[in-house]
Amino acid sequence: MTSRTLTRSTQLRQIAAICLALSGSTVAAEPAITPPSEPWSEKTLINPVFHEDFSGRLELQRLQALIDAGDHLFNARFTTLDGVGRPMATQAIIPTKRKRASRAAFSRTAGADANACSSCHNVPIVGGAGDFTANVFVSEGFQHTDFDTTDPQFSNERNTNHLFGSGLVELLAREMSTELQTQRSSALRQARESGNMTTLELSTKGVNFGKIHAYPDGRVDPDDIEGVDQDLVIRPFSHKGVMTSLRQFTINALNHHHGMQAVERFGKRWTGQSDHDEDGHIDEIGPGDISALVAWQASLPPPFPKTPPDKRWQDAAAAGKTHFEQAGCHSCHRSSLPLESLDFADPGRLDAAGTLRLGEGTDTLYPLALLEWAGRLPRDEDGRYLIPLFGDLKRHRIADQKLSALGNELLSQRFVERNVFMTTELWGVASTAPYGHRGDLTTLAEVIDAHGGEARSARDAWMDMTEQQRSEMIAFLKTLVIQP
Amino acid sequence: MMVRATLATTSATTSATTSATTSATTSATTLVTTLVTTLVTTLVTTLATTLLAALLTGSALAGEQDDLPEPFTGDIPLMIEESAAAGITHSYEGPWEYFVGGGVSTFDCNQDRLPDMYLAGGSQPAALFINRSATAGPLQFELVENTSLALDRVIGSYPLDIDNDGYQDLMVMRVGENQLFKGAADCRFTPANVVWNFSGGNAWTTAFSATFEPGNAYPTLAIGNYVDRAAPGSPWGTCHANELHRPGGATESAKALPDYSNALPLEPGYCALSMLFTDWNKSGSDALRITNDRQYYRGGQEQLWRLDSGRYPRLFGAAEGWEPVVIWGMGIAEADLNADGYPEYALTSMGDTKLQVLDLQQAIEENRPHYDDMAWDRGATAHRPYTGDDLKPSTGWHSRFEDLNNDALLDLFITKGNVEKMSDFAAFDPDNLLLGTHNDTFSEQGLAAGVALDRRGRGASITDFNADGLLDIVVVNRGANISLLRNQGMSGPQGPRAGGNWLKLALQQKGDNRHAIGARVSIKTGNRVQSRRLQVGGGHASGNAGFVHVGLGVAERATVRVQWPDGQWSAPYKLFANHHVIIERGKDTIMQWFPVTPLH
Repeated sequence: MTSRTLTRSTQLRQIAAICLALSGSTVAAEPAITPPSEPWSEKTLINPVFHEDFSGRLELQRLQALIDAGDHLFNARFTTLDGVGRPMATQAIIPTKRKRASRAAFSRTAGADANACSSCHNVPIVGGAGDFTANVFVSEGFQHTDFDTTDPQFSNERNTNHLFGSGLVELLAREMSTELQTQRSSALRQARESGNMTTLELSTKGVNFGKIHAYPDGRVDPDDIEGVDQDLVIRPFSHKGVMTSLRQFTINALNHHHGMQAVERFGKRWTGQSDHDEDGHIDEIGPGDISALVAWQASLPPPFPKTPPDKRWQDAAAAGKTHFEQAGCHSCHRSSLPLESLDFADPGRLDAAGTLRLGEGTDTLYPLALLEWAGRLPRDEDGRYLIPLFGDLKRHRIADQKLSALGNELLSQRFVERNVFMTTELWGVASTAPYGHRGDLTTLAEVIDAHGGEARSARDAWMDMTEQQRSEMIAFLKTLVIQP
Repeated sequence: MMVRATLATTSATTSATTSATTSATTSATTLVTTLVTTLVTTLVTTLATTLLAALLTGSALAGEQDDLPEPFTGDIPLMIEESAAAGITHSYEGPWEYFVGGGVSTFDCNQDRLPDMYLAGGSQPAALFINRSATAGPLQFELVENTSLALDRVIGSYPLDIDNDGYQDLMVMRVGENQLFKGAADCRFTPANVVWNFSGGNAWTTAFSATFEPGNAYPTLAIGNYVDRAAPGSPWGTCHANELHRPGGATESAKALPDYSNALPLEPGYCALSMLFTDWNKSGSDALRITNDRQYYRGGQEQLWRLDSGRYPRLFGAAEGWEPVVIWGMGIAEADLNADGYPEYALTSMGDTKLQVLDLQQAIEENRPHYDDMAWDRGATAHRPYTGDDLKPSTGWHSRFEDLNNDALLDLFITKGNVEKMSDFAAFDPDNLLLGTHNDTFSEQGLAAGVALDRRGRGASITDFNADGLLDIVVVNRGANISLLRNQGMSGPQGPRAGGNWLKLALQQKGDNRHAIGARVSIKTGNRVQSRRLQVGGGHASGNAGFVHVGLGVAERATVRVQWPDGQWSAPYKLFANHHVIIERGKDTIMQWFPVTPLH
């Protein structure tokens, strides 16, 4: 029985039940499916999270309740009873109709391609990265709405990233975006006051993002901006660095991988339909459930470097860290970035229409400082949290003519060129093999070998190291673990 | 239809059942009891019958309720009227000649890229107001004293850069001599009829449009005139001829200054109330569409003049596919609703608005401008007031397609207002805000949006006065202060909220036609393509110049291409939403623009 006919028959029973109830009959309609309240129900969205129940600054108990709900959803193997499948919708971030219904509900290429979030994010534990088998095929879903080939001209094959520390990553990106936009405002103000064109370096948390040229009349030349989109919004998520927030990423992923369409993007407000994917389920997943998923991801502990069990490894790792820095790896893979506040607002300020924005629903604050792991974050003399991500939240050209393995894609994504990627945060790298955007490099040494483009000099320094030095550098990287 | 038929049937059943039951009962108590029982039973039966019938026909719960209007599920902009608070007191006044007209120009005259405002006053002086609004804040305007623009007998105006100096000039339409004004920095305007050899005539001018014909340095000006009051038998059947002012020859000396000494009459004139140069057949060459007022013409109709790049104009006739349409034509709005390159037109009238869609087969195969009226099918007739008790026909004036809720669907705004105590037409006749829907129809939301004011609207302009990406509206009212409607955001359960994403685009090219009049802009988001064209003319005696606004819905990015007026396409520009962008011809990169108080 298809979901459509199931829905129709369900409707028929519901109407009959209404009629019987109105006419005073005590005979109840026979339920077609096991009620969600039964423990053997095949429905997984059993207790929807009501957004309004979680407003304002949450205290620990409420935060934990939301996180628990998110844990259930992240691990839930969604079923057709929940709304899995998108027969008439593509994987695109903008609600887009298929021209015809897909023949198969699931497809490893155009999706839907997973049963649960945790199907892919599970290395070494749930919330982690994915094996090569968990690669996804990223296509905008516009030109190639449906494809049954893994030929790279149709999509980019990507390995699954881990999510640990992702709340901190988003907070860093928000603070950095705000600072960059403030610098743009400063440049404009200076230009207006001086009457002359003003050029200003864009720099935040020690990371340089090029220059901006402001004119007295309010014009801005953004052509020399580097490593971030011209709107100066750092989009920290995905290999490409094109997702603004956990919330946006979650909505995209639910549609892409499961055909679970979030009301705040695919609902009536933006599509005119309650059942945009035409699978017979209306309003499949509400803003409260999305918030729960965001809270769960944002609260995942950051990977803290481990202290090796023996002195020999400790010494090797210490030496390796020195080699890492001397080679210049740390110019992009920065050991830490300072963060002012652990207050995670959901929704955040930077999301655009189609992802819940401030004032559109329930505004919530998750004080991540309440979580156990927050106390383990190192702080600088100004009290700022030093987030040990080994990244810079900046996009770089990572391939060149001779070393093109990491520029192995044919399609640009969301205006980002094919050989440009966000610096991979190395925290947790020891626990998340394989490596590279496609997950086709099995060792750390291989992926370092493959660095080209802006990373070429660091990679060449790595190649010039002695065998022992290279071994020590691996020893260092192997301390960057996700600890269960 | 099925739902309606079913409802009618069950309603009849209800009446019959109730009637039979009533006649068979004598006791009052029994009567009440029986009635209650019967009503409940009937209600249940009716409900069940209706629902089941609808279900079996596959309509009710699937949201396919045929011609029953579906509730609007998109964003409704909240428009707050704040003309007084903004510092504007200005109405359009005067006797019969000023029953029509009442236009406004919105354009930047002080080079801050915010739209300023020039308001016609009819028998009262026109007025120029400088925009002092803070970004995203309440609207604020300052009257310019001692300006040469403060003329009386002004019907309306249109801004355009006639002499290619980068400053917006003004065509001021009047009862009597029309006046071209040369614009300069800081909102200084000087009369330019003499220096540009432009004869302002002595007609009653009610329509205007301009285009840059291929090979000409300066724009061709079309002027639409109304009743010739001096003609015998006036006003009936005495429509004045219209005029075409082509710039002087292509010699170098002629290019030094605009020269409009050689005007052509466009005869017959049928009392034009709006005109628009339009590339109806995607040929790259504009024709001139004129909407005419049947109130005064005899044997007239709507008109489409063929210009053919400098040739003597001639009218499309029935033999060429142009079907006579006879309406009280008041205003023209153009949009390419399906981005196929062939524009659609909304024509306001007394009674129903027309929404004309080109017959593509006739257009492509035979170059015939044959149009079908799709207003009824698309819910855009706007033929009578949508609120209040007055069921008499409406009187429509200005019309304009824009996206006021930024959902990537064009909306249609129409000003309404009784001509002057015409008892056969609605007295309370609120302006329309027809919001576009995802099934290519329009949904009237003027009441919810706050534009249903008891005023007699005439000309109008839709533009973003406070640079927040949300389009605001100014309406010139007859006998009342203007309506200055600030778009506060979208209606939400907790008050105004942000709408969809947006882009605002300004085009520039060097040399002639600096503001790229005639250019097309193609905006691609995902699979969806929207189209805009830069034009001068249309509406009702009102024009706008400045940023082109595009709603993007949930798209964060858009790929934009420009087809410049000479037909050449630009490379694609990759733009991020919620920004003002300046595109200069020949440059691969863009410039952003930020108002004084930057929006993050």
